[in-house]
Amino acid sequence: MKKGHEAERTLTLERRDAALEDAQRFAALAVTTCTPECREAVTLAVCELGENLIKYSGNSDQTHAGTIGVSCDGDKVRVRAVNQVTSLEDAKRVSDLVAQISGSGIDVRDLYRARLQQLFEHPELPRTQLGLLRMAFEGGFRLSCSFAHSELSIVAERACAAP
Amino acid sequence: MGMKLGEKVAVESLEVELKAPTELKLAGTLSTPTAQAEFRRLLQDLHTDIVSAKTTAFAVDVQALSFVNSSAIRAFVDWISRAAHAGYTLAFKTSASVTWHRLSFSVLKSLAPATVEIIESRPAVAGGGHPS
Repeated sequence: MKKGHEAERTLTLERRDAALEDAQRFAALAVTTCTPECREAVTLAVCELGENLIKYSGNSDQTHAGTIGVSCDGDKVRVRAVNQVTSLEDAKRVSDLVAQISGSGIDVRDLYRARLQQLFEHPELPRTQLGLLRMAFEGGFRLSCSFAHSELSIVAERACAAP
Repeated sequence: MGMKLGEKVAVESLEVELKAPTELKLAGTLSTPTAQAEFRRLLQDLHTDIVSAKTTAFAVDVQALSFVNSSAIRAFVDWISRAAHAGYTLAFKTSASVTWHRLSFSVLKSLAPATVEIIESRPAVAGGGHPS
């Protein structure tokens, strides 16, 4: 049976230490009708996107790091993160990584393993950069992103059958 | 100085226990920056103790560790790298019913196959072994 369209539930992520716990609670509440596997995947996506927003988005003087939305539409669940970008270099890096992950014929496990191998060989690397890869590899999400007017939007979608 | 035997440390929603001189148990979830920083410090201290004690094999029970963010995965990568250089092995006790265990630990093992062992537990099948 197909689930009906549900409006997007949105969390505005504050810049504070407990923000990621807020995000976890938000994710759990947003997908109560989904399968356990889907709930696990959405929690992963919301936390990884939330951590990226806190760490890298906009100006750290702003009280809010960005927004995360979750919606279920038919048999699909969608997680969307939106934030203001101050570093064009960061926005391009994210766009390039999403394009690489979403490329045709790409084995996401290979990409994930390659990044872990880099971190293993170079522990001095300052950024982990595993979040989007985990979302695709562990969470089974298809990723896309857009960048316009200093706003970066990352969308993650996956199938979700009713339990 | 690292953890004492039998001592349980709670860092927000993460629980850490040194169950035996050569076994650490992790439970709960790990996602906040505070918990991440404390977790990394704890693993660094533990590594120092393992090397000092000339331990050759160490076990990490993560079966009850239900969720971690990617910073924790990075902490495991760093620990595996230090263990490989120091010459001791790490056996991760995982649960087949947790997606991130099933997927990520197999990749972590592939980084250093001689250093990492995965011991995966499978959930019991309901009613198994009892013919009706």
